[in-house]
Amino acid sequence: MKRETGRPARRRAGGKSRLTYALAGGAAGLANGFFGGGGGMILVPLLTRLCGLDQRRAFATSVAVILPLCGLSAAIYLFRGSLELTTALPYLAGGLLGGLLGGKLFQKLNMDWLRRIFALLILYGGVRALFF
Amino acid sequence: MGWLVALAVGTATGVLSGFGVGGGTLLLIYMTAFAALPQDLAQGINLLYFLPTAAAALPAHAKNGFIERAALWPAILAGLAGAALAAWIATALDVAILHRIFGGFLLAAGLRELLGKSARGGPQARDRKAR
Repeated sequence: MKRETGRPARRRAGGKSRLTYALAGGAAGLANGFFGGGGGMILVPLLTRLCGLDQRRAFATSVAVILPLCGLSAAIYLFRGSLELTTALPYLAGGLLGGLLGGKLFQKLNMDWLRRIFALLILYGGVRALFF
Repeated sequence: MGWLVALAVGTATGVLSGFGVGGGTLLLIYMTAFAALPQDLAQGINLLYFLPTAAAALPAHAKNGFIERAALWPAILAGLAGAALAAWIATALDVAILHRIFGGFLLAAGLRELLGKSARGGPQARDRKAR
């Protein structure tokens, strides 16, 4: 399982990268807990720039990292009273369907386009949050 | 009918979330701007929503070999610490302020992502062609 993508140039993890992974994860955790989302927007750029992962691995790995963080943050939100399960339910069901689809489609995605869409989504989100 | 719309929106953003690209942020925008949910409730739902979504997408990512296993433990452990701290603070703070901070961050990140030169370079930037 060492070279799943068949690309020869991928950097292997070493002592330094363990620290950079921890830094990236910590930053993503802060954003994730604080804003209730958006951890991936921190994590993906950090994984590519700081840790040297290629884009596809960065996106997929960020899903795996963010999952437990969301679990913990959600538990705290639930415990502290700002969560209603009944309102959440249809979003959860939809997310399940969409997630299955996303996982299947991911391999066929053009990463350059994905990156552009990603950037536009972030910009849109930023404009919305700041001015509306 | 509200739940049907929520289901459809959740499915659409779920695809993006499965990719790892801001589906949750879009969902947050939908919930606060269109479904008129309060920011803190929307944030909580968004967190919960990612659990089935990511769990559904991950088996495919793992099977296709896109998960960088070396990153998982360090990033998750540090991330859990950060998430616990930040979630604790966020649930005690005025979320309207949080929302603005988040907006500023997104704007900066989006501009950098869109306009910035690729820092990755070389074969790493074009993994499609290298395969």
